[in-house]
Amino acid sequence: MSGNIFSAIRQHPNVPVYDPSDPTGYNIDTNPDYVGRWNNLQSIGDNLPNIIYVIDHNVFNSRILRTLGNLYAQIKLLPSLSFKTQLGIDGSKTDGFLYYNAAHGDGKSVNGRVQNNFSNNLRWNLQNIVTFSKAIAGSHNILVTLVQESQFTKNNNFSAVGTDLSNEFFNKNIISGTVGTMSVGGGMSENGFISYAGRLNYNFKGKYYVQGSLRYDGISALPDANKWGLFPGGSLGWTVTKEPFMSGVLDILSDLKIRTSYAQVGNTSIGNYPYLGLYGSAKYSDYNGIAFSQIGNDQLQWETSKKFDVGFDALFFDGKYKFSFDYYINNQDGLILAAPIPNSLGVPGNSIDKNIGQLKNWGYEFSGEAYILRKGDLSWQVDANITFARNEVVSLVNHQDITAVNTIIREGESISSIYGYEYIGVNAANGNPLYQKADGTVIQGNIPNSTYYVYDEANPTTLTTTSSLSSTLDKKVFGPSLPTFFGGINSRVNYKGFDFSVMFRYSGGNYVMNSTRRDLVNMNFVNNGKEILGRWQSVDEPGDGWTPRLWFAGSTFVNLTGHATSRFIEKGDFLKLQTLTFGYTLPADLVRKAGLSSLRIFAQGQDILMLTKYTGIDPEMESGGVDLNGTPRQKVITFGINLGL
Amino acid sequence: MKKMKKYTIQGRKLFIIPVLIFTLIISSCEDVIDLKPYSSIDENSAFSTASLVQLSVMGMYQAAQRGDYNGNLRGYPWGSAFVQQGDNRGEDVVNIFTFYQLTYTNTYDPTTANNVWWWSDSYRLINRTNIVLKGVQTAADNGIITQAVADQYKGEALLFRAITHFELLIHFARPYKHTADASHQGVPYRETAYTNQTALDEGIAQGRNTVAECYQKVLADLDQAEQYLPTRTDRGAGKPGIVRATKQAAAAFKTRVYLHKYDWANVITEASKFLAGGVYAGSYSLPADPGTTFLNCYTNSESIFSIENSGTNNPGVNAALASQYKRRILVCISPIIWRDPAWLTDDKRRSTTTETTTPTIHMIYNSAGRIYTNKYKDVTNYTDGSPLIRYAEVLLNLSEAYCRTATPAAAPDANALAYLNMVRDRSLATPASQAYTAADFADNVALLGAILKERRIEFVMEGRRWPDIHRLQFCPYYPTNGIPAKLSNGLPAASNFTLGTPYTGALGVTAIPYSDYRFLWPIPRVETDANPTLAAQQNPGW
Repeated sequence: MSGNIFSAIRQHPNVPVYDPSDPTGYNIDTNPDYVGRWNNLQSIGDNLPNIIYVIDHNVFNSRILRTLGNLYAQIKLLPSLSFKTQLGIDGSKTDGFLYYNAAHGDGKSVNGRVQNNFSNNLRWNLQNIVTFSKAIAGSHNILVTLVQESQFTKNNNFSAVGTDLSNEFFNKNIISGTVGTMSVGGGMSENGFISYAGRLNYNFKGKYYVQGSLRYDGISALPDANKWGLFPGGSLGWTVTKEPFMSGVLDILSDLKIRTSYAQVGNTSIGNYPYLGLYGSAKYSDYNGIAFSQIGNDQLQWETSKKFDVGFDALFFDGKYKFSFDYYINNQDGLILAAPIPNSLGVPGNSIDKNIGQLKNWGYEFSGEAYILRKGDLSWQVDANITFARNEVVSLVNHQDITAVNTIIREGESISSIYGYEYIGVNAANGNPLYQKADGTVIQGNIPNSTYYVYDEANPTTLTTTSSLSSTLDKKVFGPSLPTFFGGINSRVNYKGFDFSVMFRYSGGNYVMNSTRRDLVNMNFVNNGKEILGRWQSVDEPGDGWTPRLWFAGSTFVNLTGHATSRFIEKGDFLKLQTLTFGYTLPADLVRKAGLSSLRIFAQGQDILMLTKYTGIDPEMESGGVDLNGTPRQKVITFGINLGL
Repeated sequence: MKKMKKYTIQGRKLFIIPVLIFTLIISSCEDVIDLKPYSSIDENSAFSTASLVQLSVMGMYQAAQRGDYNGNLRGYPWGSAFVQQGDNRGEDVVNIFTFYQLTYTNTYDPTTANNVWWWSDSYRLINRTNIVLKGVQTAADNGIITQAVADQYKGEALLFRAITHFELLIHFARPYKHTADASHQGVPYRETAYTNQTALDEGIAQGRNTVAECYQKVLADLDQAEQYLPTRTDRGAGKPGIVRATKQAAAAFKTRVYLHKYDWANVITEASKFLAGGVYAGSYSLPADPGTTFLNCYTNSESIFSIENSGTNNPGVNAALASQYKRRILVCISPIIWRDPAWLTDDKRRSTTTETTTPTIHMIYNSAGRIYTNKYKDVTNYTDGSPLIRYAEVLLNLSEAYCRTATPAAAPDANALAYLNMVRDRSLATPASQAYTAADFADNVALLGAILKERRIEFVMEGRRWPDIHRLQFCPYYPTNGIPAKLSNGLPAASNFTLGTPYTGALGVTAIPYSDYRFLWPIPRVETDANPTLAAQQNPGW
């Protein structure tokens, strides 16, 4: 109940935040423990606390101390042969603290809660690199690199929780003897990999490039039989403009490189022990216990990505214009996903990690850069890029869909596409919501008795033939949750010491299930958004034709809260003015007199403007295709100084 | 100079070689990729010592106490959900907010969380019982534990397997009497431990057993459990006798199962074990004040089997009975039963308090004029036991069985009346004048009505109403005719609770006829998506 956005969109606008007559000073009802009803006849719905009290009195923070270190030794054994050994360390310690005040909010049910968390993460990475570099006969350039790498990551954490606080004074750290009920938790896990890799780069006179590589990787997360994988790769490049036949066009096309590459890469982020059958802790009341916690899969093997890319880079008019194109296709094979197992088998998590699928990502990338103006002290440069990206689930085990509340993973569709019921509007005769089933029949959801009936346009009030919305048959795929195109446009103007730059970003082609908007037409005794003003009220006041009639506490049926419906599915296209920067670099000689090497003052704005048809706060606020009570981005305006010493 | 150069180069080479060797040794150490977890035990070692075997048995109880709900642990099935779902499917409570709304208003579908997790967590528990059954026998075969100890553990596993399948039948399958030989669809009765891919493939191929088969297996498991389990005395005085399975618990559950099966003779056989002269005579007695059973939930003389909850391990703020029913008052007692004239106004089960925090012996909690239950009292630490079965139910089952075996039109059966009064009299303010006598009933049919009503009063907000609605569809005298009509979802006006007259107000949730597909919960979508066998056997209409 401490959710800030959940509360913010529901709090009653006609009650005050503070109440001097309450011992806490805030407007709070005690029985039940919700935000005060003030002059309303009933308590607020959804068990909401006075969220300002919660924000003012509860604490939830963490501090991270991160240490990054690098150590290396390098030696040239021969003029063309060098050896380097390097050790990298990445350690972070996280110190977290949580306090729920006992008087009101989430802490009330347990008479206050204090919690200290500590987490330690350490990763070391050791590499031995041998490099051989030689130019033969002045035109054959060879570079051979051999790498032996090992990496180890360990995480351990513990937490101490105390509830039933003796007094709210003890709210800065867990203090011995001040809590009635204590519990501790903790865990530890590790992950590692070893890799042997070799790469050969060859180019002939900087004109023809050939590269080949081979990796032999072993990871701790796979069973013994399948631990190691062999991953080859290669690329070809051709600087066409270095060819004699191109010399004629060099003043127009000053540089042209065509390139293509192919690489196989293994996915190492698959969890720590996904293949083992395990028993984890399972306490019954206060008695220690263990229970089956993960089903094993000794057939688990490497998930590989096979990436192919072809493209070219071109420079025109001595570098005044630049243009690049890439086509890429990435086939993910043996995709490791949690394959669903029927719940009635009682397997932990109802899933088993398996190599079950194939995923394909492909796209086209275009980018260009132009010096539009270059005259003396004034220059203006623009660069722009656009990517068209597509994603498709090629195959799943047993061709089985994997459904979630709002999305689906289905063969032939983009992964986690938005999936829901087709909503077509409001029955103007009675205010019932109308849906279209998979077979085309239109049905109405009769609000008074929560039943579906076939809708007859000629007799809209007739409720004779019952029907249903089948979650197995009547849902459809509305579109991808991943954008199908995106890119940016950047413009930089420099005049004498002044610089002015603008960056735009755009994206689109994806759909978002706007669940926050659905919450804003919630039918409990809570606040609503303006959309509710368009509800159906009577035959003479049918409203906007999209929002059905009101029915107290009827959200589950009227708004179909357990599913996505096209009533709230929107396109996620947008164009944003991402950054706007003004800067002035002081003249070098002036600055040097002050003992500095450079000084620039600037003002920058981020997330200034947005153009979108999306009705929520920000179409990028979605997670997995769903916008639900996300905290909005902030517009940031920065003033600063860059100092070079 | 030349000499020095040579020396310097050679020196550097000499220096680098040990460093090179050192780093090569460290980094090629294959221990880096040969890692085993710290937080979990490999499945091959899980039953390798007596202490680990015991831990697995406790882990099985954990699945009964707290099942998974979208990544959090709540009270499915036996920690609290059996009470909350059993109450909200019936008309003796009113659901006030959205929490149990879909269950209460019969607007669930194959994706509704309540139904999905009930199904899922029941089978999660069942798989653990099968793992324990297999594991303890392996351990006994290997001499790690004695056969006697293994049998006791098996008894506990069999009890849970039986009652959990039975409760699934009550929600997902039609009652026993739906067809003459109970040959209609039940649920898959699972007796295999699913821990590897081969077992999974077999399990997916298994379809729904018939209701007759399920009952037969439930009773077989309970019979076997009764044989294996220790008695309540063996378990020890106080808490262990209530929160761990016992012979008496197995017998008590059998009275419930036989009642649903309309097998009155066996109800009497099983229940008689608890009476004077029976094997379990004297094991249980009814405290003089009905509130004692709940105030001293782990040390009273009436509870037969309850699930234990502790301050640090309980279904949590979103599921624990004291949290949902008292602190957050999400469900209140319905005026329908509250104002029923059969429940006398001075009955001890109406003892009311307005105390919000300190546990008291009262049975009712009054907040702003509305009536809630005070059976679950620890609103800070949620340590109340979850009452699966208690002696009052055995007695009322017995009373009903005698009543139904007697001639309907004859004078009230003496036994039936006696056992009804045993339960009712202790709750009456003045039993001397208020107790039922044979003269109060024209015949056994009238007595049956009183017994059935008494069940509703005695077990209000203990999750027993839906199982009774389910089995009474085919009662020849008081058929329940589908899901009864209920008050609208929402907070009833305080005036609705004024005693004196029966409730005749609006019933916003319309009744659902028995033939309606919504009488049964649908098999969850997540199940039918992954299981083609069960997808073809979905409850009709879903």
